[in-house]
Amino acid sequence: MIAESKTSVKSKVPLVAITFTVAYAVIYAISTELNLPLVTYHPVIGEIDFLQKPARSGPAMYWYGWMLTSLIGAGALALLAAVAPEGWMQRALTFGALAAVGYLAVFSLALFVYDKATVELEFLKSRWLSLAVAVVLAAVVSYLVPAKWNERVWPGWVWAVPIGAMAVLGYYLTPYFTR
Amino acid sequence: MDRTIAATVLLIVHGLVAVALLGAITHQAVALWWPVRAATGSFVARFRAVPGISYVWAIIVLYVVTFVMGAWIYTHYRYTSRLALEQLRFLKTVGLFEVKEHLATIGLIVLPAYWAFWRRPLSPDYAEARKQVTLFLAVLVWANFLIGHVVNNARGFGS
Repeated sequence: MIAESKTSVKSKVPLVAITFTVAYAVIYAISTELNLPLVTYHPVIGEIDFLQKPARSGPAMYWYGWMLTSLIGAGALALLAAVAPEGWMQRALTFGALAAVGYLAVFSLALFVYDKATVELEFLKSRWLSLAVAVVLAAVVSYLVPAKWNERVWPGWVWAVPIGAMAVLGYYLTPYFTR
Repeated sequence: MDRTIAATVLLIVHGLVAVALLGAITHQAVALWWPVRAATGSFVARFRAVPGISYVWAIIVLYVVTFVMGAWIYTHYRYTSRLALEQLRFLKTVGLFEVKEHLATIGLIVLPAYWAFWRRPLSPDYAEARKQVTLFLAVLVWANFLIGHVVNNARGFGS
């Protein structure tokens, strides 16, 4: 019984690790872009503030805070992965990835149509509308995915999602290279 | 010790540890993606013939040490070099450092999965995943190493 339980825990290790990496990458990209640090560090005076605070006496550093925010979120989701069925995690990851890519595609398309339209279509500029459409599309596609694809978590999420997160972060850094 | 001197010493040690990490991850990635089929005595064949599993803990430890040192130096960079770079309008250099910061974080968070895929006994279920995550980590380490050099050279040593 104990040996069986140990085997079960061991077999969950890669799943927990994959979930942690994926969740961290996503939460890190979000907390960086929305500036949601758990702490703010002021390097000149060597002081730390809780949550996001403006600079005082020199620049403020948020990077450590973003990492801590992501650590808490990813840690919680990794714990969830330890108890949830593997198939559910794969389904959730597929849904999340489709929703993210879908949002990018739908919002880009909406902005393109808005630019080309001869009448004012203000609603197309709504991020929430694009997100809602992307979520619905992702839900439909996830539902239609063959059941056997959802039996195991795909280990490739470990590099695919961080690359996506880096693409988003890189996009927001382009002003440094174009100004 | 003066903070600037301490930061410079730490930067040099950070660079040296990064070289060791670069060597280890490159060795492992090459051995994994381009294994030797028949034993020969050439340098390249011996380079490719190393057992990748023996590098795992060295890579993890070297990565974490390099990361912690880099994160420590970063505080000094933030209110010294970066301010100067911004005043001089070296925005591409500042942007490159921002990229490095994110790449380093991504590399760090890949380590738990990297360790999980390389656990003994090696699981055949994760053979492809091992190759992929090792290559991904190698690319991140190389990118950060090269960016670090470019950024460091922007002002020159001791300036």
